[in-house]
Amino acid sequence: MSKVKTHKVIGLRSTRLSIVLFLFFILLSNQFEPYNQSQLANIAMLLIAVLSITLLTGASGQISLGQGAIMAVGGYSSALLVTRLGLSMWLSFILAIFISALFGLFLGLAAARLSGPYLAGTTLVMALAIPSIAVRFETFFSGDVGISVDYGMPPKWLTNLIGEVSIEEWSLYVVLPFTAVALFAVLNLSNTRTGRTWRAVRDNEVAASLAGINIARTKVIVFVCASGLAGLAGALYGFRGLVAPSVYPTDLSLTLLTAAVIGGLRSIGGAIFGTFVIVFLPDLIEKVTGKLAIPETIGIYLPALTIGVLLLLTVILNPRGAAGALEHIRHKKKH
Amino acid sequence: MNLRKPLILTVVASALVGSLAISSVSATAASDPGVTSSEIVLGMQLPQTGAASPGYNKVDDAARAYFDYVNSKGGVNGRSIKLVVKDDTYKAGLTISTASKLINEDKIFAFFGSIGTQTHVSIIKDINRRKIPDIFVNSGYSGFYTDPKKYPTTFGGLGTYTVEAKILGKYLKEKYADKKIGILYQSDDFGRNALAGFTAAGLKFEAKKTSASFVAGTQGSLGLGTQIGQLKANGVDIVIIAAVSSATAVAYATASALAYKPTKWAVISVGADATTFQTILGAKGVPAATSAAMLAGTISASHAPAPGDATDEYVTAFKKINEDFNKGVDKRWDNNIMQGMNIAYLATSALMGVGKDLTRAKLIAYLENNGSKLSSAAFAPLGYSKSTHEAFTGFWLGEYDATTLLAPIDGKRVVYTTDSGTGEVTVSNYKRTAIAADALPKVA
Repeated sequence: MSKVKTHKVIGLRSTRLSIVLFLFFILLSNQFEPYNQSQLANIAMLLIAVLSITLLTGASGQISLGQGAIMAVGGYSSALLVTRLGLSMWLSFILAIFISALFGLFLGLAAARLSGPYLAGTTLVMALAIPSIAVRFETFFSGDVGISVDYGMPPKWLTNLIGEVSIEEWSLYVVLPFTAVALFAVLNLSNTRTGRTWRAVRDNEVAASLAGINIARTKVIVFVCASGLAGLAGALYGFRGLVAPSVYPTDLSLTLLTAAVIGGLRSIGGAIFGTFVIVFLPDLIEKVTGKLAIPETIGIYLPALTIGVLLLLTVILNPRGAAGALEHIRHKKKH
Repeated sequence: MNLRKPLILTVVASALVGSLAISSVSATAASDPGVTSSEIVLGMQLPQTGAASPGYNKVDDAARAYFDYVNSKGGVNGRSIKLVVKDDTYKAGLTISTASKLINEDKIFAFFGSIGTQTHVSIIKDINRRKIPDIFVNSGYSGFYTDPKKYPTTFGGLGTYTVEAKILGKYLKEKYADKKIGILYQSDDFGRNALAGFTAAGLKFEAKKTSASFVAGTQGSLGLGTQIGQLKANGVDIVIIAAVSSATAVAYATASALAYKPTKWAVISVGADATTFQTILGAKGVPAATSAAMLAGTISASHAPAPGDATDEYVTAFKKINEDFNKGVDKRWDNNIMQGMNIAYLATSALMGVGKDLTRAKLIAYLENNGSKLSSAAFAPLGYSKSTHEAFTGFWLGEYDATTLLAPIDGKRVVYTTDSGTGEVTVSNYKRTAIAADALPKVA
C-alpha cells in the first residue's frame, strides 16, 4: 500500500513539475519577441536531448559523445515518414521515439560490454559515422542536401482561438508538450525504483550485481530510454527546416554534453539550466561584444571560447555543475 | 535528481534576466521591417569561421565597403544601407537560427548575398513564405532560381553552376576530345548541379573511376587522398573540380603529394579564387611562388573581369573603394572582394530603381520587370524576369598565368551564353555599360 502511495506521490510531483515547466515556457514566450521565442523552442527541443544525457551519464554513469547522432536517427526517421509515407508530423515524432529506441537497443547491446574511454570512443565514432551514412546512401537519405521539413503554418483553429500566432510561437507550441512529457518521464524514471537501480549500477557495479541487479540488462535499458529521448529531440530539431548531416554535426553531441556538465550531470534542474546557457549565452555575448565594439574577428570566436572556458572551469572547480554548487550552498546554510 | 525549489527559482530568474537583456526593441516605423526614413537594413549569412570560410569570409567586408561608400555619397534616396552579417559556419543547423535572428531581432528588410548552397536550402522555404526578398544569393544552384513560383523572392547573385558547367564542358569536350576527362565534386546541390551541366555538355563520367565525390566540409579533416588517388589510378588526364576554394587547394596539394600531374585542371569559378588558393596552401607551408606555379595553366570561367585585370574600369573603381572603405582584416583584392562589391553595386541599383517608396513587394516586382536591364561589372547580362530569377547568363573562359591572373584563352575574351536547361551554348553579344566616374549606378 505504501509502495503504491509512494508511486502516486512521485507521479503527482512529476506531473506538477512538468506543468510548471510548460507554463514557465509559455509565460516566457509571452514576454519574448519572435527571435527569442524561436530560441525558447530550441531550448525546449535540446532540453530533451540533454535530459537523455542526464539519464545516460548522470544516472547510469555511461558516457556518450554521440547523442547528436541519435538525434539524427530520430530526425531522419520522422522526415522520411512524413515525406515518403505521408504520415502526419505528430505521428512521425512518436514513431521516431520508437525507431531511435530500437537503434539504442542495438547500440546498448554493444555498449553494455564497454565502459569509460572505450564507450566514449565508440559513441564518438557513431557521431562521426551516422551523418556519413546519409551521404553514402544518397538516394534514400537525400545526401548532403537533406530533407526539407517544417512545422508548417499555425492551424486556423488555433489562430481563431488565441489570435495571431507567429511561426516562432507555433514551433514552440509544437515542441513544448513533448518537452513536458519527456520531463515527466525522466522525473518518474529517476525517482522510482528504476532510477535507484541505475544509480546503484553507476556507483558500484559489483555491489549492484551482488544485490541482484542484472548489470548488462540495466545498461541496455538506459540506452534504449536515452536514445528514445534523443531521437525525439532530433525529430523536433529537424523540423525547424531541414534534416541533413550538417544539422547534426559532431559538435552538436559535444554541445549537449557541455550543457549537461555545466548544469550538473546528475540533476534535471541542472539540465534545464545548462540548456538555457548554451542557447542564450552566445546571444548575450554577441550583445556585449556589439556594445563594446570588439572587432568582428575576435567577437565571432568569443561565444565558443566562453562556453569552452566555462566547461573547463566547471570540470576543474565544480564538477557537479551549477546544481551541485547550489546544493552545496543550501547544505552550508542548513548547518 | 530532485528539481529543488531554489534551483527552479534560479532558472526562472536567469531566464527572465537573460530574456530582458536579450529582447530587442524594434524602431521600425515603415510598413515593411528594415526600412525607415533614414536606413535600409540588409542581412547576410556566410561562413566567417570554419572549414569553408577561407575566401568567402571576405565577401561581407567587401559588400559593406561598397555600401559605406554609397552612404558617404548620401545613400539611396536619402537612406543609408546597413549590412548585418551572421556567421553560420556553413552548418545548416546554425543557418536556421541565424536566419531567425536576422528576421526577428535585426528586423532586416531583405536577405542579401548569403553564401552557401547547402545552408541556404535550410532556410529558403521559410524566407519565401514570409515574403522576404532574398536577393543576389551567392550560390549558383539553379534550383533556387529557375522556378519563381516555388521561390518567388529569391534572386541569384552568380551565374548558375549548370550554365557555367555547360560552357566549360563544351570547351573541354571539343578541345580535349582525345583525353580522358574526370571530375571531383562535392556531393551537394552545388556539385551535382555542376555535374548535370557537364553531362548536358556531352561529357561522360564513370562512377568510382572518372568521377569522384566528397562530403562538403570534410576536405580539411578527411582530406581528398582517396578521391585524387582514384582519378590518378584511372588515368584521368583532365581533372574538373566543382567544389569550394578550400577543396581546390586540398586537391592540388594532394595531387602534388601523390605525384599526380594531370594534363589540365579545370575549376568551376567559385572554387578557383587565386588568393584563397594561395592563402590555404601558404598555411600548409607552400611558398607563394610554388602555389602560383601549381595554379598556372588551370582553366576556369568568370562572368566578371579578372581581379588582376588592371585595365578594367570596374576593377579600378572597386579597387579604390576597397582600399578606402574596407575595414575587414583581409582586404587583399581578389575574386571574393570583386563579387562582394559587384552584388553591392547591383543591390544599390535595385534599391535606387524602386525609388523612395520602398517595400519588399516593390523590390521583387522591380527585379522581375527591370532587373535584366541593370548593369554591373559582369560581361554577361542578368537573366531576371518573371519566369526565371537566374543572375548572370554567360561566362568567358580563361587560363591562369604564372602571376595568378585569369587571362582569356587565346588572348581574346569571348562571352558564351546559355540557360540552365537544354539550350545551346552560343556567343553573347551583350555590351557592358561603362561605370560612372563616381562609381555609383545610374538608374532611370
